[in-house]
Amino acid sequence: MNRAVRTGSIAFTLASALTLTACGGSDGAGVAADAEQTLTVWAMGTEGEKLGDVVQEYEKSHSNITVKVTPIGWDVAHQKLVAAAAAGKLPDVVQMGGSYLGEFADMGVLEPVNTGTFKEDDFFPAAWQQGSYDGKTYGVPWYVDTRVLFYRTDLAEKVGIEAAPDTMAGLRSTAEAYQKKAGTKWGLSIQPGGLDTVQSFYQFLYSAGGAVIDDDGKAVVNSAAAVKALENYGSYFEKGLSEKSVRPGYDVTKDFNTGAVPMFFGGPWITNLLDENSPDLKGKWAVAPVPADEASVSMAGGSSLAVSADSDHKAAAKELVSYLTGAKGQADWFERTNDLPANTAAWKTGDLATDPTLQVWRKQMDTARATPSQPRLTEITSKVDTAIESVTQGKSSAKEALDKAQSEIEGLVQ
Amino acid sequence: MSLTTGPAAPQAAVGKSPDGGREAGRTRRDRRSLGKHNLTGWLFSTPFLVLFGVFMLFPIVATLLMSFTDFGARDVTRPLEAEFVGLDNYTQLFQDDKFLKALFNTGYFVVVGVPATIVLGLLAAILLNNGIDRARTLFRVGFYAPVVTTIVAVAVVWRFVLDPSDGLIASLASEVGLSAPDFLGSETWAMPSLIAMAVWRNLGTVMVLCIAGLQAIPSEVREAARLDGAGAWQELRGITVPLLRPTLLYATVITTIGYLNVFEEPFVMTQGGPSDSTLTVSLDMYREGFNFFHMGYASAMAYVLFVVIMGITVLQLRLLKDNTR
Repeated sequence: MNRAVRTGSIAFTLASALTLTACGGSDGAGVAADAEQTLTVWAMGTEGEKLGDVVQEYEKSHSNITVKVTPIGWDVAHQKLVAAAAAGKLPDVVQMGGSYLGEFADMGVLEPVNTGTFKEDDFFPAAWQQGSYDGKTYGVPWYVDTRVLFYRTDLAEKVGIEAAPDTMAGLRSTAEAYQKKAGTKWGLSIQPGGLDTVQSFYQFLYSAGGAVIDDDGKAVVNSAAAVKALENYGSYFEKGLSEKSVRPGYDVTKDFNTGAVPMFFGGPWITNLLDENSPDLKGKWAVAPVPADEASVSMAGGSSLAVSADSDHKAAAKELVSYLTGAKGQADWFERTNDLPANTAAWKTGDLATDPTLQVWRKQMDTARATPSQPRLTEITSKVDTAIESVTQGKSSAKEALDKAQSEIEGLVQ
Repeated sequence: MSLTTGPAAPQAAVGKSPDGGREAGRTRRDRRSLGKHNLTGWLFSTPFLVLFGVFMLFPIVATLLMSFTDFGARDVTRPLEAEFVGLDNYTQLFQDDKFLKALFNTGYFVVVGVPATIVLGLLAAILLNNGIDRARTLFRVGFYAPVVTTIVAVAVVWRFVLDPSDGLIASLASEVGLSAPDFLGSETWAMPSLIAMAVWRNLGTVMVLCIAGLQAIPSEVREAARLDGAGAWQELRGITVPLLRPTLLYATVITTIGYLNVFEEPFVMTQGGPSDSTLTVSLDMYREGFNFFHMGYASAMAYVLFVVIMGITVLQLRLLKDNTR
């Protein structure tokens, strides 16, 4: 038997073998919140590692509850969740990446959120939207991320650029100025192609007033605004302002440190990376809002917390979720991880209220836009990735590429 | 108790020799002990059979069945509700530009990669078998090390070698005033770069096989050839290669199968890019299956790949087998 056939079939085996045992699940009320019990929680990446500390605190004030956190790597998260969902063995509480929620909600494995307990108004609109699917809410926003412009202030001063660009036109002329006058290798780092290129493109797309899927769930990726945005995006590669070559595993902070790249769009975790890996760079860079086109709109990412529909411990699980997403829990979480709180009330205290850098994120979050939850979101965005790549590599015009993507995506939305 | 499952009954039967009605009794007892032996055999085979059934047979059959359905993410929770679509997946595959491109890329990988691996592997073997006397072990280990190194470590090294701005090749090229191409970022160069990496990783396997084969060639044959005035090239053509034929056939077949399945190199180095220029069938299958959860479609791909591999292997065995012996 050859390896290929085998690889393809292993997943199915797992899926179907597990399904045989999936008949359990409880329909009753399950265990009461104040009963002695163990809650299982799955969280991804860094969040999974840090959550362990938080729940230790939580256990102190809830002596009847033991929380077992399992950290899962982002690279295997999707497969693991699907296998667990198939087996009816999702943990009581599970972290849901924004792009996963639609898929799992569609499978019917997530418990709808009680909107009486968790209120939409407490959270950033885009964060709340990521927890919703088909008019219902399945995930409570936990932390958010969005992209803002990182730029080198020292190099900017050298060439007389006084402030960060605040328009898309300004962004390009700033990129040119950096390259010509400050002698940087590139002007702006944006991803030329490959997996999740779309995340680089969202800043351009949303700011121009475009979208991949509109709020009614219709594919609109070849709208005039989107074409304009992709033309703008492509022009950076055409003019040699951005690197055309696709470099898997590329770490932009290295080139930012050397000055080869003076500007890029990055998420909140980049601040930590820069502080840790390039301490010499401190004070030589700053963040600014996404330069406006029609408006300044960035993408919203982040994760929600969802309760499994099969859980026997729903009552306690909801209490844990409500602690983690409440103002106090969120502020504590920020202290530990620097993940941006999804709950706006948490932004009223400490650094979150005063730090000017953090205010940039906060302001960006107010307008940030989330991609509507769709069961086949991964596949949908991969079509946009392909369209972007064909433009950055000069193989097709923005219009042609997006028309093609549009026709493919139309068959995938629901 | 004997472990044989066949009709090796006598030993057991002799031990319990009957005291009357010999013929009839014996036959009956033979039959009984035969059954008992069979049972023992089955018992000992059970662990294997269960594992084989669960991890090989069932997946193979399930994949085949699944390839006739539109099995997707939502069917995972209710697999029996997946819609039967007949041969749709297969017909769709051959209209899918992406899959055809992946098929082409895989073919490219095999056509260039297999001969390169075999030839270089053989040369390395000959070199180490005759040429280098000192530090032979060191060289053997050196050539073989890539085979046993994890692909992730290999990828780190090769990315450094191939990096267009500060990589090894780029730096060397700029020393002498040349500019190196952007190996992994260019559609022309990405595939050759991955092939080079695969050849480097796999020639060690071929080398080991060939060294074993070379050492089985009697030295008298070589000596005779030398006495007759054969040069190195003639010795290679007239003696080494013909006598190594079975080894080379085996090496070619396993290398071909390996390269038809190529997955790791593009997965860790390029993710199939740029513009799908390094997308192979296995990688495409992985994406369809695990990123998009088109399990039915991916299963059909697996079977197409299986048939291709089977066909090519049979062909190779026919063409390359030594029919003179």
